[in-house]
Amino acid sequence: MKKMINIIWRHLLLIFLVIIWLFPIVWLVVTSFSSYKGVNTFNFFPEEWSIDNYVQLFTRPDTAANFPAWFKNSMIVGVCCCIISTTFVVMVAYAMSCMRFKSRKGIMSFAIIAGMFPGVLSMIAVYFVMKQFGLIDSLFGLVIVYSASSGLGYLICKGFFDTIPASLREAAKIEGASQLTTFVKVVLPLSRPILVYTVINSFLSPWMDFVMARLMIRSKDANDWTVAIGLYNLLDRNLINDYFSVFCAGGVIVAIPISILFVIMQKFYVEGVTGGAVKG
Amino acid sequence: MKAAMKKLLQGFKNFFADFGNAITKGDIWTRLSLIFMGAGYFGRKQYIKGIFMTVFEVLCIIAFVGFFLPYLLKFDTLGDVERVAVFDPVTMTDVVNDYDNSLLILLMGTMGIVFVIAFIFVYILNTRAVYRLQVTEEQGKHINTLAEDIRRFANDRFHITLLALPALGVILFTIVPLIFMVFVAFTNYDENHLAPSKLFTWVGLDNFISLFTTSATATFGYTFVRILAWTLIWAVVATFTTYIGGILLAKLINDKLTYGKRFWRTCFVITIAIPQFVTLLLIGKMFSNYGIINGLLADTGILEFLQSIGLVGEGLSYIPFLTKPGWAHIMIIIINIWIGVPYQMLVATGILMNIPSDQLESARIDGATNRQIFWKIIMPYYLFITGPSLITSFIGNINNFNVIYLLASSGGYVTTDMSMAASQAKEIDLLITWLFTLTNDYSNFKMASVIGIVVFIICAVFTLLTYTRMIAGDKEEEFQ
Amino acid sequence: MKKKVLSLILVAAMGVSMLVGCGGTGTEDSQSESESKNSEAGSEDKDGEFVVKQDAIDNLIASSEGKTVHLDVWCSETTAYQEVMGEVIEAFKAQYPDVSFEIVIGAQSEAGCKDRVLEDPEAAADVFVFADDQINDLVKAGALQEVVTTYTYDPAVTNDEATVEATKVNGKMYAYPLTASNGYFLYYDSRYVSAEDVKSWETLLAAAEKAGKKVGMNIGDGWYIYSFFAGADLELTMNADGSNSCNWNNETGLKVANKIKEIASNSAFISINNTDATARMKASGDLVAYVDGTWDATPISEAYGEGYSATKLPTYNLDGEDVQMGSYAGYKFVGVNSYSQEKGWAMLLAEYITNEENQSKIGVATTEMPANTEAAKAPELQNNVALKGLSEQYPFSDRQVVGGKYWDPAASLGAGLADGSITDIQQALNDAVLGITQPAN
Repeated sequence: MKKMINIIWRHLLLIFLVIIWLFPIVWLVVTSFSSYKGVNTFNFFPEEWSIDNYVQLFTRPDTAANFPAWFKNSMIVGVCCCIISTTFVVMVAYAMSCMRFKSRKGIMSFAIIAGMFPGVLSMIAVYFVMKQFGLIDSLFGLVIVYSASSGLGYLICKGFFDTIPASLREAAKIEGASQLTTFVKVVLPLSRPILVYTVINSFLSPWMDFVMARLMIRSKDANDWTVAIGLYNLLDRNLINDYFSVFCAGGVIVAIPISILFVIMQKFYVEGVTGGAVKG
Repeated sequence: MKAAMKKLLQGFKNFFADFGNAITKGDIWTRLSLIFMGAGYFGRKQYIKGIFMTVFEVLCIIAFVGFFLPYLLKFDTLGDVERVAVFDPVTMTDVVNDYDNSLLILLMGTMGIVFVIAFIFVYILNTRAVYRLQVTEEQGKHINTLAEDIRRFANDRFHITLLALPALGVILFTIVPLIFMVFVAFTNYDENHLAPSKLFTWVGLDNFISLFTTSATATFGYTFVRILAWTLIWAVVATFTTYIGGILLAKLINDKLTYGKRFWRTCFVITIAIPQFVTLLLIGKMFSNYGIINGLLADTGILEFLQSIGLVGEGLSYIPFLTKPGWAHIMIIIINIWIGVPYQMLVATGILMNIPSDQLESARIDGATNRQIFWKIIMPYYLFITGPSLITSFIGNINNFNVIYLLASSGGYVTTDMSMAASQAKEIDLLITWLFTLTNDYSNFKMASVIGIVVFIICAVFTLLTYTRMIAGDKEEEFQ
Repeated sequence: MKKKVLSLILVAAMGVSMLVGCGGTGTEDSQSESESKNSEAGSEDKDGEFVVKQDAIDNLIASSEGKTVHLDVWCSETTAYQEVMGEVIEAFKAQYPDVSFEIVIGAQSEAGCKDRVLEDPEAAADVFVFADDQINDLVKAGALQEVVTTYTYDPAVTNDEATVEATKVNGKMYAYPLTASNGYFLYYDSRYVSAEDVKSWETLLAAAEKAGKKVGMNIGDGWYIYSFFAGADLELTMNADGSNSCNWNNETGLKVANKIKEIASNSAFISINNTDATARMKASGDLVAYVDGTWDATPISEAYGEGYSATKLPTYNLDGEDVQMGSYAGYKFVGVNSYSQEKGWAMLLAEYITNEENQSKIGVATTEMPANTEAAKAPELQNNVALKGLSEQYPFSDRQVVGGKYWDPAASLGAGLADGSITDIQQALNDAVLGITQPAN
């Protein structure tokens, strides 16, 4: 009986929590189906339902909202970023975890300290460095900005590599394999969870960031923006009354692929982050 | 800590001692390579390597003289010729003088300094390598061929291959900007001295002094202390609430009495999947003075109740969730729990599922209650594992730009503290968002840099305090 | 060939006049030197104005042959603006059929234009539309090209005098006037409050209360709070160094602030920002009078339907006397980036956008009052309800010349008065004035 009460109690609590957590999400979704374009401040549910916001998003790009182009740009940046970032992170993590060289600890401490400098502050300097290379206003430049310093985020991945038994690598070495071979043939295949974790994280960052992107992409032509810049711009005070529900629709569209990615990869993701955290 | 410093100093000493050794004991080829970096290799018949190093040296010198030197020469004043453009109405173009751009001088000067240091480093390494080559030859041992040397980069020197590109990225996009911004803190780079049209120059410690002083007209000191305090409170509270919340939620979901674990977990994970800025802007709109939450609560009597107990001012027709200090502070922390707990729950789930079950079993046999097991076994284990990530997220919260900035802007926060307003800050600002406002809206780069340095020092001190744990160097081996 | 010779002569003539201009006073610094040069060049213009200017344009066309002229234009992100600007630019291209243009219109709100330009003037648009309050900062940063001379028309003659005055910093003109309607006034719904009611705050609030409706204004904003203090002739001006002078904390100021607090505490009054207000009008319909500008004309006219009206701001009663509220009159200007690579074309485009024909086109499309006095007479504009309200308020408005330190303290003051959290008003005024008048960095 006591157990029964316990079960009911904890499920009621969970339901309550889920309602709180999903409340804004549900509002996002229902507002995206509203035929009224502005912010609805009195009713939770729209008075008239419509899928026009989605139709507008995909078929009627205008000067303020050009979702297909934004999506394409973000996709390009996201994919390139996750290739470069993941490569960098894995490379640094392998060097720090599986190899022993003189300046290793020095570099590790240095990396931790350097990673702490507030990115918001160095933005303007990064911008002018990129300008020297002629890389502002281009997606390629954005990719570089997002992934160049990614090596600093190696710690979790290194923690994961630390858990791979050294005996495996030694066995490979005895068989005459070089470090390169060991890295590619022995360590990487065992690191699927952490690879997934790193890939997801580095794929997501371009979808989330609007501050850096807005600085790097000087163009005010909606064709050149990423999803983050574009959606953020829709809430400008001149646009919000005409585009709020379009903004919501955009948010939903972005969330769908990422949610699917998360749900499928959940297992790997958890393993990756905890495996890494074990010896973070 | 002390030992680490000692080791570092020792390392430096050895590095230069080796170099001195190479010069004093080197033969003609080794000494010649002080001038021509490739000479030592030619002497040992490693022609390709010799050519490579010499070309490298020449390229570096060309880059330095042709590119960095002009900037470095003006580094002491940051330029002294201001831009003058005279419009020619006939050709419809400007006649512009040969002006100095302080910003470029500072930036390229910084890069030049980093470049020189890097070159000296390689130069000394090269001399040492050449000397080692000389010793090898004198001892009559085998000298590597080019192919063998290259192969080493896939083997015992594989770390150099691995680290080269990431390090270059970090140097260009983290180190150079870092040094640059540190330099800016010692200049008068602000709205009255905006490059390229105007010059700025060195002012010594003036900016640091103004950060710590308060007078009737300058309120930076006053504002700084308050924002620093809130930043620290925020970082502690935000870190612990999400951390504890994550564990509790994970325990709730993963308990064997809970049905549909995957479903519950998915419900929470969905909130991670929506880009943070979307959810934050949305929640900011929901809780704004005339947003939907106030709309829904309008006739429920809650507002009147809050007014009667003095939590909401009499004159208000809404609950100032995000517009009054106090209310906004608490709401921001609550919203941050909403944002952060699902992620922490994921982490906690992973760890709790991997707790060594033998310990739990033996505790149960000893008759421990669930509560005892949780506090005596699970929590210590969990803390042990996530300790380092706790520090990372603490630092992350000190620099948590998104939550504060987006909620303040979409919620419509207006400062009520006049002295703070005079320094362009809000009560809910963190150091990082204040710094952003200063650069973005007021072009006050000098003060922003000073604040940035302070943030950096705070983070660095916190990390160094936990330094040994984070690097966890000694335990690596035992784990593997 | 003939043209080349002519321009050579012109250059020579200008050179001579320049020498003459500064020959007398050898000690003059370079700034006055260039000034005198300009004025000399100006007098030269009077003789053969058309020939000289047409010749300069012809030269420009000739020198642009075989290349693509790339120009970036930034203007407001609203659809109406973007569309009409697209038409204007197509027409501009058609004027010069021999030149190949690549003109990109960017969406950048005028309010945020300064921040984006100052991030890096070299990478900002060649031609941009901005609000007049940004002109001082833009000039200070050297981002605006001085309008030394114009080629197709003279903006100083065709535009409203006050507007032209506002484009000048230290006596030099730095932008081309576009609109003169960036101010605020009172919208009201005549179905609930009458034209008599809206004359004063006292009658307006009483009428709204009787109808069970609300009256709104965004008091927590420096731009709007100014109107109360300006009405009582209190001072807020910018000094030469960019700081402000302000006497709002004197005796009259205290009375005004008390009055603001009194109005704000009226149960029929709410302090609400533009976005929330328009949303509220549509959603609940209880906001029957609101202080706003022309940019919200469309949503408000939809919400008020046949009751849609606009007029000057109301008076308020101070010591038994009715005081007419002041306001800020704002303008929108077109500026040419001083770092533009195609300065000649950028200037021609800026002139083209702001000529009479296009001002009237843009004005009609966006319901903004053109700065051009002729274009402002268009019947569509004269009969526009919102613009009528604006022009009624116009005599009581001031040009917005204020240093950057004004905004945050003023907003704090307004927000504090609006929600009644300020109890010691004199102290709050003193603090606000201290913040407003602090030195500009």
